[in-house]
Amino acid sequence: MRPIKIMAASGMLGYGFTEEGFNHGLDLGVDLIACDAGSADPGPYYLGSGTPFVSRIAVKRDLSLMIRGGTQEKIPVFIGSAGGSGSDKQIDWTLEIIREICDEQNIYPKVAVLRTELRPEQLVSKINSGKISPLGPIKNLNENDADETHKVVSMIGAEPFQQAVVEGADIVIAGRSSDAAIYAALPLMRGADPGLAWHMGKIIECGAQVIEPREGQDCVIGTIYHDYFTIEPGHPDRRCTRTRVAAHTLYENPSPYELKEPSGTLITKSATFEQIDDRVVRVSGSKWEPSSTYTVKIEGVKKLGFRTVFFAGTRDPILVSGINKFIESCQTRVERDSKAIGIEKENYTLNIKVYGKDAVMGANEPLSDQSPHEVGILVDVVANDQDTSKAVCAKARYSLLHTDFPGRMCISGNLAIPFSPSDLSAGEVYEFNIWHVMECNDPMETVRMEFIIPNDPPKERLNG
Amino acid sequence: MARLRELAKVIRSKNAGALLLTLDIMFDNEEAYRTVFNSGVLSPRRIASLYNLSDNQVEIIAFEVALAIKITIPRHTIAGSPGDSDVYGAQQHAPLFDLEITAS
Repeated sequence: MRPIKIMAASGMLGYGFTEEGFNHGLDLGVDLIACDAGSADPGPYYLGSGTPFVSRIAVKRDLSLMIRGGTQEKIPVFIGSAGGSGSDKQIDWTLEIIREICDEQNIYPKVAVLRTELRPEQLVSKINSGKISPLGPIKNLNENDADETHKVVSMIGAEPFQQAVVEGADIVIAGRSSDAAIYAALPLMRGADPGLAWHMGKIIECGAQVIEPREGQDCVIGTIYHDYFTIEPGHPDRRCTRTRVAAHTLYENPSPYELKEPSGTLITKSATFEQIDDRVVRVSGSKWEPSSTYTVKIEGVKKLGFRTVFFAGTRDPILVSGINKFIESCQTRVERDSKAIGIEKENYTLNIKVYGKDAVMGANEPLSDQSPHEVGILVDVVANDQDTSKAVCAKARYSLLHTDFPGRMCISGNLAIPFSPSDLSAGEVYEFNIWHVMECNDPMETVRMEFIIPNDPPKERLNG
Repeated sequence: MARLRELAKVIRSKNAGALLLTLDIMFDNEEAYRTVFNSGVLSPRRIASLYNLSDNQVEIIAFEVALAIKITIPRHTIAGSPGDSDVYGAQQHAPLFDLEITAS
């Protein structure tokens, strides 16, 4: 088997990479340029609304270079979890950018689009046949949960990428994808050891996290040989270190030893890491345990309503010293005042956080008895519609600003409000209600694949 | 006797998905790693008391090849749901800083 070289352009499409690192990587003769474009870390809003969390300008810059590189080297370009959450709407957003790039570069690539969004009703038969189970501490799904779901995506493995390549794709734009699968797919179909291919994919998916010095995102290259793989930076002046590479398997995973993928589990227990020169780390010994059932992770959100927030500070020492009791009394007052305008307590959620006290850690805060000289107060109201959330937030603002407390001297107002308007509509609110795994009959079951040529070929080309 | 922050190079927290939080303690020398590991201070009971959990909700995994100890615990709120204070889970590590490590 000849070595297979995979370049991860960046840890996240739109987070950038250096042209020097990218070009140096291409000079090494890579077989694939790929980039993960998604994460669930920014929370449920992005899947719910179909909004990207990176800027269009930044994504276009990264994609332009990747596509130009792919055309020049005649190698495929893969994007996984397009648009952030990999929903259909975010795929369409990505395709629109690709159309512009193809037009500007005057190229006509064959683009495979792998849509992985599911209709919530598709879950019902799976729920009823016991094919969906929780991925961690979350309740089992029932039909009602499927009804309530606003958006749900399936996280695909390596096989749909491979299918797209078999059918001649130059560029693959995929919905929600396993990060490692984006990079493991091509080596696997060319006969690489699956333990090595998946482990390599897992290490390079976060881009420059394994690179020193850490100066923003950049390209990383994984090369798979017969019984080991190497990790090196694209940039000639940067280096990969054994510590960073070994430590990377810890990152964002519940266990560094077992990483679950749709078709099996990567076992890194007996993996060894060696620094073979200043810039390159060699990894061997990673194992793969194929699974008897194919499972995809599913991520879904339900819509909760609309949010209004209000933020202010207080520097009054008497108020700060009794802030917890004061907040409690305001909460009671907001409930009463909201009811007076016809808004029942069941129709909204009100969260008040005191920054400077225990806002970040809540009940886990070990120093909650300490008294700072000033605190920030955040009011967060979620209700079925924007008007209701605004109305409750206004009652909370008024209450915090003007409610008496024992020993009060500052009777013209308890708060320093930093801007006008004081209450900010934060739009739609979603919640992850699906964080499960689903058994599939085959790897393409949750995938809708289509091929497009994003740029209309000129007439003479068609006629010729 | 030393505090964990004096022995470790990295003490960090992050989501491991929307339901779990993972705390990584990493060392830059084997001696410090061994001192902490052998002290037994990083026990499920101790971590559970710091994070208001029960012992069986805490998983602790030593990852010697990277001189690291990983602790995985459930989040109190699903990431990004109303009431959550830390959507990425990146600021939940501080209670580990002052754990007293006694050489065994």
